[in-house]
Amino acid sequence: MRSGESNPPKAAMWLLRHVRPGSHNQALTGDLLEQFREGRSRGWFWKQVLIAMAVGVLGEVWRHWPQFIYAIAGTAMQVFFRRSVEGAPFFFHWWVLPWPWSQLVLEGSPQVLLALGALPVLAAMLAINGIFRWVGLLRTGMLNLAFILLVHYLLGVLDTFPSLRRPVPGDPNLFTILLLPPPVIELLIFCSFLFAAWMGCRSPRYGSELETQADS
Amino acid sequence: MPKRRYLGEMELMVLLAVVRLGDDAYGVPISEELLNLAGREVALGSIYAALDRLEEKSFVTSSLGDPTPERGGRAKRYFRVTPAGMRALTMTRTALTNLWSGIPLVEGRRS
Repeated sequence: MRSGESNPPKAAMWLLRHVRPGSHNQALTGDLLEQFREGRSRGWFWKQVLIAMAVGVLGEVWRHWPQFIYAIAGTAMQVFFRRSVEGAPFFFHWWVLPWPWSQLVLEGSPQVLLALGALPVLAAMLAINGIFRWVGLLRTGMLNLAFILLVHYLLGVLDTFPSLRRPVPGDPNLFTILLLPPPVIELLIFCSFLFAAWMGCRSPRYGSELETQADS
Repeated sequence: MPKRRYLGEMELMVLLAVVRLGDDAYGVPISEELLNLAGREVALGSIYAALDRLEEKSFVTSSLGDPTPERGGRAKRYFRVTPAGMRALTMTRTALTNLWSGIPLVEGRRS
């Protein structure tokens, strides 16, 4: 083995250390180094790391499938809603409504309602999995609302910069902030739903409740 | 849903390797055992995923050894089968033996 090849690929090591989900990362890394120093190639090392990452990600999805279903359902509802009401005057011409309805619609009530509307999906999935807890469900709803309001007000701040605003074709009164393409926005929505469900249903207390239930 | 208490194929093989290796059961010897005795070249990541599941089911326990230089200062994690793991193995063996005993045709083909 040449001297340059005596060390494992740094990028693979970084991935193992920082990206791979699951426990026993230190032991796995040690085993891979032990085998590598016994003469395995860098290609073998990379293959092992990529398999370990894929298996780790699939394992996490398998363990938390209710949260993934919730994120998919929530994202699908958001996308369907946005596309189905495009051009609907009720939601976009909020200023024609009397106060406080105009304010409520302006503050993103459709999105808030949809965030809450996806919660029954999570509740059903958790119940099917036998790990339903009201506290997890409520925490997920609160986190999701917090994310949505955060994004809403962040966009509100960005809206004050004229250079970021673009006119909506066919409506001289409307402007939109075109920072990200729709697929990226949908990915962000998916991640926010997933993160909310993950955090909402995965606190140490909630986890210990699940462990107790599994052991009983 | 109650946690699955039976063994998948990979879990069964890994658990048997852990039993065979005794006090020396960590990732590398387990993978060698699977290669030499079962003819399966299994990635270490897959072995650890199976060990994670076995540990969640309380079929194995693990403990850290001493860090060694050839492992970049990282310790080995040794696994041991628990009484619950031994019971699961016995139940699986009984089930498989019962199922195989009802298939004389396959035995005839092999002989």
